[in-house]
Amino acid sequence: MTKTLTIAQKELSAYFKSPTAYIILIATITVFNVFFYMIIDQNREATLRDVFAVMEFMFVFLVPLLTMRIFAEEKATGTMEFLMTTPTSNTSIVLGKYLGSFLFFNLLLGMTVVYYFVIEYFGQPDRWPVVTGFLGLWLEGGLFVAVGILTSSWTRSQVVAAIMSYAILFLVYFSASFIPYVPESFAPVVRHISTLTHAANFGVGLVTLADVVYYLSGIALCLVLTRISVENRLWR
Amino acid sequence: MIIAQNISKHFGKIEALKNISFEIGKGEIVGFLGKNGAGKTTLMRILTSYLPPASGKVLIAGQDVERNPLAIRRKIGYLPENPPLYLNMTVREYLKFAARLKDIPARETRARIDKVLDDCRLLYVQNRPIAQLSKGYKQRIGIAQAIIHEPEVLILDEPTSGLDPAQIRQVRKLIRDIEHKRTVLLSTHILSEIEQIARRILIINRGELIKDRPLEGLLKDEGAATLEEVFLKLNPPQAGRSDD
Repeated sequence: MTKTLTIAQKELSAYFKSPTAYIILIATITVFNVFFYMIIDQNREATLRDVFAVMEFMFVFLVPLLTMRIFAEEKATGTMEFLMTTPTSNTSIVLGKYLGSFLFFNLLLGMTVVYYFVIEYFGQPDRWPVVTGFLGLWLEGGLFVAVGILTSSWTRSQVVAAIMSYAILFLVYFSASFIPYVPESFAPVVRHISTLTHAANFGVGLVTLADVVYYLSGIALCLVLTRISVENRLWR
Repeated sequence: MIIAQNISKHFGKIEALKNISFEIGKGEIVGFLGKNGAGKTTLMRILTSYLPPASGKVLIAGQDVERNPLAIRRKIGYLPENPPLYLNMTVREYLKFAARLKDIPARETRARIDKVLDDCRLLYVQNRPIAQLSKGYKQRIGIAQAIIHEPEVLILDEPTSGLDPAQIRQVRKLIRDIEHKRTVLLSTHILSEIEQIARRILIINRGELIKDRPLEGLLKDEGAATLEEVFLKLNPPQAGRSDD
């Protein structure tokens, strides 16, 4: 457990040792602010539902940039050999790295909480959908980070890692759009895979067990696969 | 201390190691020679549990490496061929990270770090980012992380590469100082180097262990004055091949 935290701390501080973290934080929050302003200006409604939808879409592009480094860089520079010859279990390595990146994502998401205070100041927002909307984004971010870490563990190249995460996240995000093109019996499955279906419920204040289980099981699956990939010597 | 039994390893169709067996006793310093691509690094990776052998068994301090990898790793200090460093950390941060992962108790961490910084002549650069340091420093940081947990077994893959003569002498002294206390297996291309440190020589060629002798015996057997002569005799440079 302490080692998981040690690795998480190392990953989190690695973000801030290069300008990348600051650039990503500043660029993202700027884009979010612009959309927030536009959406509120057009809708004239004290709700964050549409803002959440835009943020969710942006995370598809953003999260792979945060996670591509995680394993690929260690493999490329040879530090993976160091990590894996210290008495640290592979589970601690995977969990530590996941936790480190997820904490960075939390920081990003945390900065957007200010939108709630803005609409609270200017209107009377329905509070519950805001809370569940953030919960949805938080879970979704957790899933995206897990996917990113998984693809990063497959390769030494950060670019390849990012492209593979994009491929998976696009498929998952847009899978609902494929419904007209699949046999009817598959339609419910495809709809269930899509993150859009699940995030939409959170956006309107619905927290269902099915949605929570969807995200948690997705995260668990990715982390287990990452552990297998780290253990599998073929990938090294 | 280190027992390797019939180790084989192949990558695809390439046989990297063929049926290698040897035993190294406690406190021995063993030099490990071979051309580039002979299988030295692969064998070292297997001994440190980084790679599993295709067949065969490695025992360190009586324990099977594949069965108890975590317990074994506490007893091994390993310097890979390229020092595995996080360039964005300072030297001290890196050693602290290494100390934590290597189960050094929190209250001892500071003293251990100070000791290895001193042993490896790194005190002066301890707060500099590793990225800014020269190859010689990086190599010594790699050695510092390998010895920080005072392992019983040290496995060093080309510990003196990139060092200048004065630094090589320091590393040699460092290894000598720990003789009898620790078991050391090191590989190097600098043959005069190994002559001065190692008491016993293992020579590997194309994945096969072709010599395992005490240094003096080896020189006498081959009727050679230096290890270089022995090495060239056993590994004749071949015309038209560029595997070196």
